Amino acid sequence: MLRPHFDRPSRSDLRVFGGYCLAAALYIAIGVKWIDFLFSFWVAVAYLLVVAWLLPLAVRRFL
Amino acid sequence: MSWAAHDLEPYAIQKHMKLKVAFVPLLIGSYSPDMMSKWFVYGIHLGPWDLKASDPAQFHRGWPGVGFTHSLLFGVVIGLILWKVFGSKIWGVSFVIGQFAHALTDTGDTVGTMLLFPWTFHFHLDAWAYAGQTGRNTDAAAYFSGLGSMWDLVFLVYGLYSWRVLTSEYFDAVIYRADRLWPWAHRLVPREAMIVLYRAAFFYGASRWIAWTIWAHVIHHYPYDLSWGGPHWVPAAHP
Repeated sequence: MLRPHFDRPSRSDLRVFGGYCLAAALYIAIGVKWIDFLFSFWVAVAYLLVVAWLLPLAVRRFL
Repeated sequence: MSWAAHDLEPYAIQKHMKLKVAFVPLLIGSYSPDMMSKWFVYGIHLGPWDLKASDPAQFHRGWPGVGFTHSLLFGVVIGLILWKVFGSKIWGVSFVIGQFAHALTDTGDTVGTMLLFPWTFHFHLDAWAYAGQTGRNTDAAAYFSGLGSMWDLVFLVYGLYSWRVLTSEYFDAVIYRADRLWPWAHRLVPREAMIVLYRAAFFYGASRWIAWTIWAHVIHHYPYDLSWGGPHWVPAAHP
């Protein structure tokens, strides 16, 4: 019998996922307000690099 | 016309093909049919000039037009060129798979694609309305009110269900190993940034799906019409 199996994420996986959800919430809020923001893949890439890599990197450096 | 499926499908393919595909050409292949043409379908303003196809559906999917980019032959030809130029079979094959996914997905709308070009017959399932000719905002509203957005949702849910594909462990074990582009890029780009780049298309597709759904149904109250060929409140184009 085919039984779907869901792999349970660890606490660290959930923390990363939570960070991306926060980033997505802000992206969506900006995009709903200014829809031009949603049209470019490259804008999304730049946005994600800033909020998911540069910002955490800067915070870690200063703490 | 699909809005988020082309961002999300490569991750589903990646989950099943693992080391047999390289993610970057897979994604480029998935984007390739619309890469050069979408702007002219919706039109742009350049100073005093308005540039837009006189018949957007014909230009986008037809012949004469650039509809050949949605054919299987186009994928194979570009894949062979990539194989030859980069000397990488996995790049060629991955591009072909991504491009095939796009061409097949777009048969879901009312215009469909010339899959077997040079035969100019359009394969179309008519599941959702093609409304590119109405401009990008109306097209978005229509797409996110019909079955097209449900097709995107399938890949969004499947991607979340297959969440391991998006982890840094998976990136190290599969994505990085499958394609020599990543070790080459690693000389310039830190690993953490490469993982963010790898996840970007999924982030873009998922976030955009939610944002457009909110825009169409919370801000503007466009009606949902999940019937076959809908939404019927927009004039659908046909081949």
